[in-house]
Amino acid sequence: MSQAPKTSKSALLAAEHLSWCTDGNLILDDISFAVEQGSFTGILGPNGAGKSSLLRCLYRFVKPEQGMVSFEGHDIWQLNANDYAKNVAVVLQETPSHFNLTVHDVVALGLIPHKGIFARANKTDDEKIIQAIAQVGLAHKDQQNFEHLSGGEKQRALIARAIVQSPRLLIMDEPTSHLDVRYQIQIMELAKSLDITVIASFHDLNLASAMCDNLLVLNQGQLVCQGTPAQVLTKETLSEVFGVCAHISEHHQHKVPHISYYYGYIPDEHEHEHGKGEDHV
Amino acid sequence: MFKASTQKGLAQQGLAQKGLAQKSSAQKTLVDKKNGAWLEKKNISQTLVTVIAVIICFISLFCALSFGAADISFADVWHSVWPNDTDKDVGFIQRIIWELRMPRAILALLAGSGLAISGLILQTVTRNPLADPYLFGISSGASLGVVILIAFTGGIFTVMTPVAAFAGSLVAMLMLMLIAGRRQSQQVESMLLAGVALSFLFSSFTSLLLYHTDPQAVTAVLFWTMGSFSRAQWHNLLFPTVVISACIIFMLAYRRQLNAMLLGDESATTLGIKVNRFRIIMLLLSSLITATLVSMCGGIGFVGLMIPHIVRFFISQGTVFGILLTALVGGIFMIWVDILSRTILVNQELPVGVITAATGSLFFLTLLYFRKNRPS
Repeated sequence: MSQAPKTSKSALLAAEHLSWCTDGNLILDDISFAVEQGSFTGILGPNGAGKSSLLRCLYRFVKPEQGMVSFEGHDIWQLNANDYAKNVAVVLQETPSHFNLTVHDVVALGLIPHKGIFARANKTDDEKIIQAIAQVGLAHKDQQNFEHLSGGEKQRALIARAIVQSPRLLIMDEPTSHLDVRYQIQIMELAKSLDITVIASFHDLNLASAMCDNLLVLNQGQLVCQGTPAQVLTKETLSEVFGVCAHISEHHQHKVPHISYYYGYIPDEHEHEHGKGEDHV
Repeated sequence: MFKASTQKGLAQQGLAQKGLAQKSSAQKTLVDKKNGAWLEKKNISQTLVTVIAVIICFISLFCALSFGAADISFADVWHSVWPNDTDKDVGFIQRIIWELRMPRAILALLAGSGLAISGLILQTVTRNPLADPYLFGISSGASLGVVILIAFTGGIFTVMTPVAAFAGSLVAMLMLMLIAGRRQSQQVESMLLAGVALSFLFSSFTSLLLYHTDPQAVTAVLFWTMGSFSRAQWHNLLFPTVVISACIIFMLAYRRQLNAMLLGDESATTLGIKVNRFRIIMLLLSSLITATLVSMCGGIGFVGLMIPHIVRFFISQGTVFGILLTALVGGIFMIWVDILSRTILVNQELPVGVITAATGSLFFLTLLYFRKNRPS
């Protein structure tokens, strides 16, 4: 099922034979893939598959034991942390804190890689911050406490911070978990509208299918398959990796794979009832 | 092809952020103008608040010069501070003011600002709203360092005192970090637990040492451990002034990085901050302030915990104003605590720590009560 790694020269970010272990457990095992400039890449996999760990390797939080991650052909660990931050912005799941930072303060953090320690924010910076806040539709909550925002608004504020960081690559770790359907679509559309390269991990396979150009599927630390949603989201993958039984049809409007789950069946019984002809591969 | 149809489909369904993009572009100019004005207004009001705080600070200093065992009228204070030839002789009063009360009031101001800033640093880099030099055992470590010095050299307070205090606070900080460990996720909880335990440990060592020390020294040391500004003199004010101003300037320079720490280590890393190094530098800075102040005026609890919270109720801590205001409010608070400590009992001086703990906890509980009952 797994395909040979495609490492092309135009890749913005590439992982080569990446392995990472913690406390003696192999969390990521020999992962190779490349992310094209301007593409939207989704990372799928069951809980504990190593999605977050892989992203951590990509955004330079943990150093892989073996292999390397390269940004435009340079090993990211050879790059200056600040320079990397100028190019790569990361939106993580919100962390709870009890400190009174306003939305404006949080968004202004995006300036850090671009500002010297004594540099004050000038007019252009202020405009950049205000524009980013307006772009995510939070202009009316500019001076509100970040902690008082709803989950979707927090996520949007963090994306605004990423916009201020003016990166070329945006990495998002499960940006849509804990959000209701409307916010899930809103956040994804927002990420798409930025017109930069995006890598995000997902739990919602249908959302990933609709949004991503490329998908990587992880299972137990290994990259089991990669390709377009139509190539990756097959009945076999779903049953092997996620252990669910599903019917895959074509989304009536977007023409991407659409997954409907079967409940209360075990895969083998189901295989008998529905022929392979119905799969949209 | 596939991508185009996806986007088209979404747009048709009206799901494209429910008009988020359109709304933002249509309203952008309006919002820009409105927000721009708002931002300016906010800056002005913040400047105003800071200016008012500075004025209150001066008034408090003035009051500190006037109130005390010997009653000195405001007019006499004024004439002593800005003497002119036509005035009657204010020699005695002038000496009380210049040699006793002025250095003392300035030390109180420094101690208040320093402890508030130290608390703010600790709370920010450990992301723990309960962090405080006192609760983290740093004050106790510094106290122990000083008491060890006194026990072994016999001298009460010397040039070596700040060094011993800093060594003590460093040991406390080091133990704290070793015990709390490097596991980021657990650090916040385990640090507080370890800090409280260390604080008790160091206090018990201090008590043990005091038990075996010369009884005369014990009285002085005991009074000092509860906090007092009575050692303030012009010549020993320079060192804390330099340390605290340098730390405030350093904090102002790194205010963005400090804010980023609040969003978590991972987020801070992704903004290009070397999180572990930054945290250690900031913790060292906090220890340095605490040690300097402990060696000068003993352990004063609650200020580091309380003042940043009080300021945070009203203003975002992330700005230049937030940091300056924290320092100013801390200073003002401490000046008044010192005034109280000198005037509350006739012909006697209360330890400052007793008053900060009492007023601090009461004020804090009141604020918490009203905050809890406020509709959010």
